[in-house]
Amino acid sequence: MSEQKTRGVTRRTFVKAATAAGLAAGLGPFVIPRRAQAAKTLKILQWNHFVPGYDKWFNNTYIKEWGEKNDTQVIVDNVGLVTLNSRAAAEVSAQKGHDLFMFLWPPPVYEDQVIDHAEIYQECQRRYGKPIDLAVRSTYNPKTRKYYGFSDSYVPDPVNYRKDLWDDVGMAPDTWDDIREGGRKIKQKHKIPVGIGLSAEIDTGMAMRAIMYSHGSSVQDAEGNLVLNSPQTRECLKFVKALFEETMTPEVLAWDASSNNRMILAGKGSLVLNAISVTREAENKKMPIADQIWLAKAAKGPVRRIGLEHVMDVYTIWKFAANIEGAKKFLVDYIGNFRQGFLNSEFYNFPCFPSRVPDIKQLLAKDSKAKPANKYAVLTDVLDWATNVGYPGYANAAIDEVFSTWVLNTMFAKAATGATSPEEALSEAEAACKRIWAKWKEKKMI
Amino acid sequence: MATVETRKISKFYTHEQAAVDGIDLFIPEGEFIVFLGPSGCGKTTLLRMIAGLEHPTAGDVLIDDRVVTALAPRDRNIAMVFQSYALYPHMSVFDNIAFPLRARQFAKAEIPGKVRWAAEMFGIARFLERKPRELSGGERQRVALARALVREPQVFLLDEPLSNLDAKLRTSARDELQQFQRRIGTTTIYVTHDQVEAMGLGDRVVVLSQGKVRQVGKPLEVYDEPADTFVAGFLGSPPMNLIDRGSAILGFRPEHFLPIEARETGNDAVRFTFRVTRVEYLGADRLVYGMLEGGAGEAKVLSRLPSTVPLPVQLGERHEFVIGRRDLKFFDRQTGLRTAPIPL
Amino acid sequence: MTALASHAAAPTGARSRLRRLADSERFLAWALLAPAVVFIVALVGFPFVLALLYSVTNVTVGTQSASFVGLAKFRQAMESPAFWGAVRNTFLFTLVSQALVIVLAGTLARLLMMEFRGKWFVRLLILLPWVAPISLGSIGWLWIFDSIYSVINWTLRHIGIFGPETWPIWLGQPTLAMASIITVHVWRMLPLAAIIMLAGFSGIPKDIHDAAAIDGAGFWRRELQIILPLVLPIVLVAVLFGIVFTATDMIVIFIITRGGPFDSTQVLASLAYYTGIDGGDLAEGAAISLFLFPLLVAIAYLMLRLARRTEVT
Ligand SMILES: Nc1ncnc2c1ncn2[C@@H]1O[C@H](COP(=O)(O)OP(=O)(O)OP(=O)(O)O)[C@@H](O)[C@H]1O
Ligand SMILES: [Mg+2]
Repeated sequence: MSEQKTRGVTRRTFVKAATAAGLAAGLGPFVIPRRAQAAKTLKILQWNHFVPGYDKWFNNTYIKEWGEKNDTQVIVDNVGLVTLNSRAAAEVSAQKGHDLFMFLWPPPVYEDQVIDHAEIYQECQRRYGKPIDLAVRSTYNPKTRKYYGFSDSYVPDPVNYRKDLWDDVGMAPDTWDDIREGGRKIKQKHKIPVGIGLSAEIDTGMAMRAIMYSHGSSVQDAEGNLVLNSPQTRECLKFVKALFEETMTPEVLAWDASSNNRMILAGKGSLVLNAISVTREAENKKMPIADQIWLAKAAKGPVRRIGLEHVMDVYTIWKFAANIEGAKKFLVDYIGNFRQGFLNSEFYNFPCFPSRVPDIKQLLAKDSKAKPANKYAVLTDVLDWATNVGYPGYANAAIDEVFSTWVLNTMFAKAATGATSPEEALSEAEAACKRIWAKWKEKKMI
Repeated sequence: MATVETRKISKFYTHEQAAVDGIDLFIPEGEFIVFLGPSGCGKTTLLRMIAGLEHPTAGDVLIDDRVVTALAPRDRNIAMVFQSYALYPHMSVFDNIAFPLRARQFAKAEIPGKVRWAAEMFGIARFLERKPRELSGGERQRVALARALVREPQVFLLDEPLSNLDAKLRTSARDELQQFQRRIGTTTIYVTHDQVEAMGLGDRVVVLSQGKVRQVGKPLEVYDEPADTFVAGFLGSPPMNLIDRGSAILGFRPEHFLPIEARETGNDAVRFTFRVTRVEYLGADRLVYGMLEGGAGEAKVLSRLPSTVPLPVQLGERHEFVIGRRDLKFFDRQTGLRTAPIPL
Repeated sequence: MTALASHAAAPTGARSRLRRLADSERFLAWALLAPAVVFIVALVGFPFVLALLYSVTNVTVGTQSASFVGLAKFRQAMESPAFWGAVRNTFLFTLVSQALVIVLAGTLARLLMMEFRGKWFVRLLILLPWVAPISLGSIGWLWIFDSIYSVINWTLRHIGIFGPETWPIWLGQPTLAMASIITVHVWRMLPLAAIIMLAGFSGIPKDIHDAAAIDGAGFWRRELQIILPLVLPIVLVAVLFGIVFTATDMIVIFIITRGGPFDSTQVLASLAYYTGIDGGDLAEGAAISLFLFPLLVAIAYLMLRLARRTEVT
């Protein structure tokens, strides 16, 4: 009896304590005093920039200044680039999240979830002149006539090559055939391969499209019809197979987006397709190899010289964002100040409104870190040889799914390694594309 | 059937304390010998060394005059019954009993007959298809015995095999066990801390304390002629009265300490004055607590009287009690060992 | 209990009611279980129901509204060769890694049962992969398998097993890549499995081992006829857990190979993620992720029955 009683009491005490603890935890957020804050907040989500100096400037200087002027507390959350998609999906399903969400590629699937960004383009155009075509093609759906995002900048994707090695075989990587031949010679002579990815990652996606577009092949035509199955695509598959066998090693099959950077910086690659983050890292870390890595325009194919953007900054404003007006204003102002963005990204981010960096030619011709100082001057006419994913059409939801599920990467990797015949690889990819097209047509988004 | 011998066998689990401390024993063929001692005295350890489950720190084990110290248990041709029975829970009774046969590669055809024979010996033939968890404690214990018996080992080792049974069952099991051993005549070593079991079962009893042998002998011998104060104080319930008498310790069993009326007094009896302080009734007996007076000071002792003997004294009163001279044992004060009688 | 509480609790009103509640077994059982129930509903039940709903609609990451399409998404998924490749890979990945885990965990558990100095340290080391965040460990593995800096290749070359021309690209060749992710997954599952097995082995009373030794059982007889059957129920639970966990997990693949090279390590869980989240087709992703569900339920049912049948006490 007495034992039972003590048990009861102890237990009662326990329940009381537990209840108290639970209450404290639940009430905590309301009780803890918050510090004084600005009238409004603006929450931004974007990636961890490959040029760390950019984040430092953006997070510590730029948004503070803008926030003060606009009586707004600006909060930036930086995330790794591979988590962007799942973050976005989470925000949409919660109908809650950031006011500005920056993708690194066009996000047409979210068209229903975002405001029409036309107004921002209009305002910027009124103030700063026309945006580049690449920006529009990466953010506009001609079917619904809606701007599903706003692109402030893009990142060129030049050829990065080892000047010393290429000189040694007496060649320069100007055309895709040059890359194949020179790459082969260098691999034979120096055992240093070419590093163009054949893996499920963004750089591979861009490189494969660069090869396709320059060979006259593409996934869709200008009107958005599926045209993947073409003699030109077959040509490309053969070319990539030869390129892989003659100039590369299977390591490219296992890559992630930064593997090519690591390869060439380690001195283990003769050529990669990448943004200038490669040379910038070498310069900033004072690596001796920095002076040997040179840049070239996108390689010329049998049909044209064309490449992709390396990444495409696309800011979106959710319909459910808390501070839509503030987000719009932020973007317009950011374009106004874009020259700072260009400089602080160390020329990584190129302007979608070219008038905002009027002296870009002079800046590129005389870089303070590069040796030679005009190393980056090849980027001057980047707009003549860079295009969007979805070329010659727009980046739409189907193009996006093809890109994000790595349909083309897989097709090329299978054909290149001989896992399937090029013909089989193509027919599998086409079947996948057809399914995807059918799906999005049914949704009336293309 | 075999002899078992240990020579200077010791076991140190830790550096300081010996669990078994240099024991020499010889067990002749067919003997039922019991290791008896208080908890922690090293009985199990000694048994496990004989079984080969524990390796001695020093000394040797011999079975049939052959040194087996280095042999694995399976090569000693012994069988053991554990306190927990250690039946294989996932096997039927049949498979449990057959296991040692199969492990020893007995011919397949032979096995069922042998199992049946062993099972019948212990009256468990009905249960052969059951799993151990479907048996009572007593039945499990029989299965364990059958499993030990089935391959007719040279030596049986039993470690407190009855301690998980209730009192009534224990008595009948004890009886059966002894009959069974007599019938098959296998050398048997039986470990227990229960002196009733030891007295009832053993041809000889080995009394152990702190890893050492205190006395080896027939049950009556160790009871009547304890070799030292430990054995005197350990056996019997209540045990021997031990009182200080100058250079020696005087010992006598409570049942020998009787009122003067209950015994013919003669030359062979010694008288004491006993002041009774308490009487406890145990049914057939009474325990009489009190103080011994006179001589070399007072001492607490007790007497055990059969209820047929009247108690001619009230609580608090003094009375004359006597002990037969033969029933008085003397021990050395220093060593605790038996000594010659001294004049009182 | 209730009766006791009522005369122990003299005070009236709310306080006494509270006390009575605190004394009630039923209420208390629920109160104490509630967090676990909430947790399971929120983290397992809710997503599962959501996946069920999604899989029969045409919902995408970008839409909130969706219409019912029946089993169309399952059909759609099954039309693609990538899906069947993933099914095959899932089986391969699960079966091979689980077989390895069981054998290795069993061995490890036996080793851990032996007495030796510094045992606690070895135990700690073995538990580490389980305690450390998986992403951290996997990134370590990424470096071990890295095409340029591969630690294994470097070591093997330096001790002379690999010649100067041998430099396997672990993640670049389908078989090696599959072997790599299996290795990482085994490394990851091993600690828990070993601990579960250790519990199983330690649960066998010492007397049983002794009895087997005395009865004359040799090594294999003891392993196969005594120890294995006795740990079987617990091993089955470990295997079941491992299978379900492995068949539904993608984190190792996500970090190490992302399904590559060319889908040769793509499993259903990772394919579901890429289709549903990256590709935007939530419905098809959900359909893919649910594909194995009936099979896993069947496996779970069978294993638990088997475990009950072999249960011993
Ligand atoms: N594995 C072991 N490690 C360390 N010490 C042990 C071990 N086994 C027994 N001992 C110690 O050795 C001594 C003798 O133990 P043993 O089990 O032989 O006693 P016992 O006489 O059988 O006692 P009981 O009647 O309680 O079974 C004890 O002090 C015990 O604590
Ligand atoms: Mg014992």
